[in-house]
Amino acid sequence: MDIEQKQADLIEQFVKQASSLHGSALAPLVADATSHSSLFAFSEILSVPSVLQLGGTENSVYLDVLRLFAHGTWSDYKSNAGRLPQLVPEQVLKLKQLTVLTLAETNKVLPYDQLMQELDVMNVRELEDFLINECMYAGIVRGKLDQLRRCFEVQFAAGRDLRPGQLGSMIQTLSNWLATSDNLLISIQEKIKWADSMSELDKKHRKEVEDRVEDVKKSISLKKLQTVSRPTLTSEGMRRSTLNLVE
Amino acid sequence: MASSSTSSSGLTFKLHPLVIVNISDHYTRVKSQMQQPSSNSNSDSNSNSSYSVYGCVIGVQRGRTVEIFNSFELLYDESTHSLDRTFLEKKQELYKKVFPHFYILGWYSTGTDAHESDMLIHKALMDINESPVYVLLNPSINHAQKDLPVTIYESELHVIDGNPQLIFVRSSYTIETVEAERISVDHVAHLKPSDGGSAATQLAAHLTGIHSAIKMLNSRIRVLHHYLLAMQKGDIPCENALLRQVSSLLRRLPAIESEKFQDDFLMEYNDTLLITYLAMFTNCSSTMNELVDKFNTAYDRHSRRGGRTAFM
Repeated sequence: MDIEQKQADLIEQFVKQASSLHGSALAPLVADATSHSSLFAFSEILSVPSVLQLGGTENSVYLDVLRLFAHGTWSDYKSNAGRLPQLVPEQVLKLKQLTVLTLAETNKVLPYDQLMQELDVMNVRELEDFLINECMYAGIVRGKLDQLRRCFEVQFAAGRDLRPGQLGSMIQTLSNWLATSDNLLISIQEKIKWADSMSELDKKHRKEVEDRVEDVKKSISLKKLQTVSRPTLTSEGMRRSTLNLVE
Repeated sequence: MASSSTSSSGLTFKLHPLVIVNISDHYTRVKSQMQQPSSNSNSDSNSNSSYSVYGCVIGVQRGRTVEIFNSFELLYDESTHSLDRTFLEKKQELYKKVFPHFYILGWYSTGTDAHESDMLIHKALMDINESPVYVLLNPSINHAQKDLPVTIYESELHVIDGNPQLIFVRSSYTIETVEAERISVDHVAHLKPSDGGSAATQLAAHLTGIHSAIKMLNSRIRVLHHYLLAMQKGDIPCENALLRQVSSLLRRLPAIESEKFQDDFLMEYNDTLLITYLAMFTNCSSTMNELVDKFNTAYDRHSRRGGRTAFM
């Protein structure tokens, strides 16, 4: 959440600059934006009309670069390297950071091998350095590095710019979440009712048993007056009371 | 003269729970210390009903907001109907060292209503603070009353029968909590079910807590859902920063789904079930044992009298 705050001013600045420039003057602006160390969001700049006009002209390559940074990964760049201009090291770094974000979109646990392949990094040490220095300290990801299992568990990853279709899937996820929590609420309420009704039943049962014990006690004390038949009747009474307690 | 009219000074009062707990603790301590000697003497039964304790409240006043943070006790001299001045000043110095920003804002007492004699103390404090507040706690427990038995009075100069007099007027206040206060009040509030109830009421209370928490989460997710739907339909302009935050939030679901979690969870679940089963077994066998004992007593007593065959 704080990444968004950090970026907000930068985004405004770039948007203002972009709306005042046209054509090839936007090229250095695009280069600036994509190499800036704390800017990870490009969809606002993409929606500035003068930037969109670049598409189809000879400067459309800059629009493509911007689009690549908004939605693409490092492997996209490698496969299209012919059409896109050469990237400076800061841009390469940024693109790699954005790649990590994209990978974190699909899985929560990222194996080192996949990361190494996607980011073109040869050994684990370099990979971990990259993850720690560039990604975690920049605040775009938070997670745990598990060296034994060779994976990176992502707890939080900043959002990338949305592709047009993603809004629909986000709404779908939200409605699933809503449905699940609604169901959970209903089952909790049922559990509460069950607990209450069980305690009611228990109380009733206890009361019944006590009432019966009282009755039997009364009948014994009445019969105690008759001394002759005392033995049989007391044992009879005890038996009855023990039978009642067994139930 | 106590008045039930509301104050017109425009000051907003914020009261911290610490003050209320302090006042009630002071009153309880004094009352319990007094009970012991008075239980031997067979005189005054009104000593435990009319006693009130006195003290000072301190806090910060920023503009029109008066925030009462803390309080301390004061010695009250019954004979002169005044507070011990030297003690007050000493305490004030000590508290100033620890809390340099807090000033004496007024004083507190316990009782049901503000009295004339309280005005004397109020006037005495006016040289420290030109408009002190009077916090009154009603120590009698009234189960029907829904709000706190705490009232805050201010003094105002009203013209009554031709002469201007200071009278108490009631002011409204809000309760303001610091995180530490919230935790302790929460803790105390949750202590009650453990003496009150059986297992079922404890379970119900716990589940109710979870239920309300999930309900709050639910309402917030609903708001997000509406927002996104409206954005999709085009009713509101797309705000990319927010969308990015929502997407990063949604990516955190499902929160826990690894195999390790499932294993640990199932293990703990099985352990709990096993222990419950074992406890039930023990209970049943001890009940059975009692039953058999009673049975045998009945049977033995009978055979000692001599005569009948065995029951079975």
